[in-house]
Amino acid sequence: MTVHDMKHAASDSAHLEAVGGRLSRVDGPAKITGAAKYAFEQQLEGLTHAVLVGATIAAGKVSAIDSRAAETAPGVLAVLTPDTIMELKGASDWFGNPSPQPTYNPLAREVSYSGQHIAAVVAETFEQAVAAAALLKVWYDETPAIVDLSDGKAGDGIPIDAMTKEWGDAQAAFAAAPVRICAAYNTPREFQAAMEPHGLIARWEGDELTIWEPSQWLDGMARTYAEWFGVPFENVRLVSPYIGGGFGSKALALAHSAVAAAAAKMLGRPVKLVLNRPQNFTSYGGRAATRQTVAIGADRDGRIQSIVHRGVNETAVDGMWVEPLGSVTSIMYATPNFSSKQNVVRVNTVVPGAKRAPGENPSAFGIECAIDELAYELGIDPLEMRLINYAEQDPHTKKAWSTRQLREAFAAGAEAFGWAKRPPEPRSMRDGHQLIGWGVAAGTYPVRRAHGEAVVKILGDGSVEVESSSIDMGQGTYTILAQTAAETLGVPVERVSVKLGDSHFARAGVTGGSRLAGVMTGAVYKAAGQALDELIGLALSDPRSPFQKLQANTLQVRDGRIASPRGEGPDLSIAEFMAAVGRDRIEAKGDTLPASTTPQERYKNYTTIAMSIPHTEGDWSRYSWCAHFVEVRVDEDFGTVRVSRVVSALDSGRLYNPKLAESQWKGGIIMGIGQALLEEGIVDRRHGRIVNGNFADYMLPTNADVPDLQTISVGIPDPHSSALGGKGVGELAIVGIAPAIANAVFHATGKRVRDLPITLEKLI
Amino acid sequence: MNDQVTISPTTLSIHLAINGRDHALEIEPRVTLLDALRDRLHLTGTKKGCDQGQCGACTVHVDGQRVLACLTLAAQVEGREITTIEGLAGEDGTLNAVQAAFLEQDAFQCGYCTPGQIMSAVACIREGHAGSDEEIREYMAGNLCRCGAYPNIVAAVRQAAQELRS
Repeated sequence: MTVHDMKHAASDSAHLEAVGGRLSRVDGPAKITGAAKYAFEQQLEGLTHAVLVGATIAAGKVSAIDSRAAETAPGVLAVLTPDTIMELKGASDWFGNPSPQPTYNPLAREVSYSGQHIAAVVAETFEQAVAAAALLKVWYDETPAIVDLSDGKAGDGIPIDAMTKEWGDAQAAFAAAPVRICAAYNTPREFQAAMEPHGLIARWEGDELTIWEPSQWLDGMARTYAEWFGVPFENVRLVSPYIGGGFGSKALALAHSAVAAAAAKMLGRPVKLVLNRPQNFTSYGGRAATRQTVAIGADRDGRIQSIVHRGVNETAVDGMWVEPLGSVTSIMYATPNFSSKQNVVRVNTVVPGAKRAPGENPSAFGIECAIDELAYELGIDPLEMRLINYAEQDPHTKKAWSTRQLREAFAAGAEAFGWAKRPPEPRSMRDGHQLIGWGVAAGTYPVRRAHGEAVVKILGDGSVEVESSSIDMGQGTYTILAQTAAETLGVPVERVSVKLGDSHFARAGVTGGSRLAGVMTGAVYKAAGQALDELIGLALSDPRSPFQKLQANTLQVRDGRIASPRGEGPDLSIAEFMAAVGRDRIEAKGDTLPASTTPQERYKNYTTIAMSIPHTEGDWSRYSWCAHFVEVRVDEDFGTVRVSRVVSALDSGRLYNPKLAESQWKGGIIMGIGQALLEEGIVDRRHGRIVNGNFADYMLPTNADVPDLQTISVGIPDPHSSALGGKGVGELAIVGIAPAIANAVFHATGKRVRDLPITLEKLI
Repeated sequence: MNDQVTISPTTLSIHLAINGRDHALEIEPRVTLLDALRDRLHLTGTKKGCDQGQCGACTVHVDGQRVLACLTLAAQVEGREITTIEGLAGEDGTLNAVQAAFLEQDAFQCGYCTPGQIMSAVACIREGHAGSDEEIREYMAGNLCRCGAYPNIVAAVRQAAQELRS
């Protein structure tokens, strides 16, 4: 639970406070002063420290562990191995499907990837646990591993029929097309690399479990813990007041989470376990490596006749992850014939996971590079090429777009960038040794929707509290929910405190898929509206109310004061009114679920993703859209690529707070720059081990890698996408950046790099 | 696997001067300044991102210089003046110019790298390395931010540097 002091964040200007205003982050003062306590920074009496030991082989068996030295090392309380850790029950997956296995051991006897947890040491201090963990002796029976997609043993993989999308006769139309291009596009294993590592504190009190853990989904993770330990859901409390970045990685309770909770149960003391940085590269999945081929057939005037797309992503030997590679391919351009199919290939890795725009991101790299290649093949400007094939409706479902401001994005971005001055030929711009290139690409992300719930309280002193078990990992949830409640209730935003990150608050589904803002502003809008109705109803009808004599039909609340809309009669602050009627609170719980929803359905709605609402539900196809314009400078001698300018025009519908939305867009663009030029998990071919699992060798963009970025909002309110008209923000902007950079590199150098990242050896 | 690792039970009695206050500590010599701050003194504003000197999240000032607390043993800085993010604002809560500029420019999202960014920015300005956006980018490049607040960090450092000069 977190309450923010608004005094630094509040603004004098009323329009800043309303939904759509550029209010500074209300959680900002806590974050810039060091006062913000993140989940595993809680100080608990008797806290112990656990350190994990990972397998040094990628496939095989742990044949023996000698833990004698570790057990007798100073401060050591327990050494947990596959044989000594308590047995857990199998937990259901995030769709709610029951586990195929009745039991679960988070420490592995059978190793299927390098770094897999095989033991843990718990000690009085962190230093003692680290030192003792180094004393474990482990013996293995090693078997050959499939190290990655290019391993000869990897094979073609398993067809995922649910990914197949086809209409028309794509193969025949491609064969008959007068102009054809076909190329393969690869993206490597990439990592979320949030600055805050994964970790947790677990504490048992009887059969009640409290977990302080950075989480994108408190209710979903609480369900997993409850199932592992066979305790009622209500007995598990997840606390996650701030999250130091997630990017998709912090939505699930993972093996290390289970180890810490089991150790706490076994020892009867609270346990803190934080993954060290290298363990953050092996303990949960980043973005799967992908391979795509894109074939496009077109008329000589540039009209696409057919797209044939085939994709492959890696998954784990013992787990399934599908990165939907045809997601953008199938909707970006109008085509009468289309075919997309996908396989997954099992390799010895931790199960890949969600990283910012899973599916859309690599999908866009394929199709947005391919359309560029087609443009050069035909001698048509790449922007014009995109407009010639503009999809006036969803080409896959044939439904109308709810809103699609992509044409507007192309126009606004091109104007701001100066695209009209672009010479068409590659290698036609230079500055000394630097070749300059301009590239364009589009991006999109579906409007994922779900139902949400919130509690809004009007308190006796006139202040307002909003409670939700949703979270803020930097998107601005605290701020936009305060703005929503303030505007709906008619109170100044500094009188609103938003409490998030506690699973005992009103429930919320996963914070992922860019859905939270739309879901939760809707829920708070509804709950605040109910609270306001109750306040006004009380004012009109309570015998003690000074307004009762007015015989008015309604009252209004503005700036925290209640009055008749016509200005007659009393004018009271909410606090004065609450005192007059003898109330210390008015509380409303609002949700966006249909009234007929059963308790079981509610539980399923918040603790699984099974009840997410399809973005193509009903008559509309709902997506956010963007267009990126990028300038690169490539050193002709050394092949080094620098991004020197980015202009992005984006349609996220209505923005609840443009200041914060622009920051998220810029963050997506920057993560995209990293993807395009720097980021690649490198696997040692002998041991199947990630060899660059740290921040020096897995290179993230630094401040010096990023130029000034210009973002332009071209969105309009979309009533079909959310209660207040917004569409997704967080994932959109990364989609399309890597292909825009790759296209700019081609324009600069005449070299088409189809393997990310675009490193210097691929250009010289 | 190394049998020869010895674990010394020896502890040291040291005093650390942090944010103008004296703190007595009984710690093992191997305890880093970062873990001393976070685990022993409950000053959790200084963040642990990598524990390997690669990310800058643990940046603090030692005698006014920016230092990575994860690569510094607590015992090394006895007798030195240590400033952490908790000590940057005035006694009355008045924000440092850099803190205020970070809030105004929205120079952070998740906030986890932010204390390190702010400590680096204060030193960057003091070092005279905030003369241009290019210079700010270069001298702030040791502090990673995965949310990608870099352009706003540059704007905040530029703004604070101008305010402090005037």
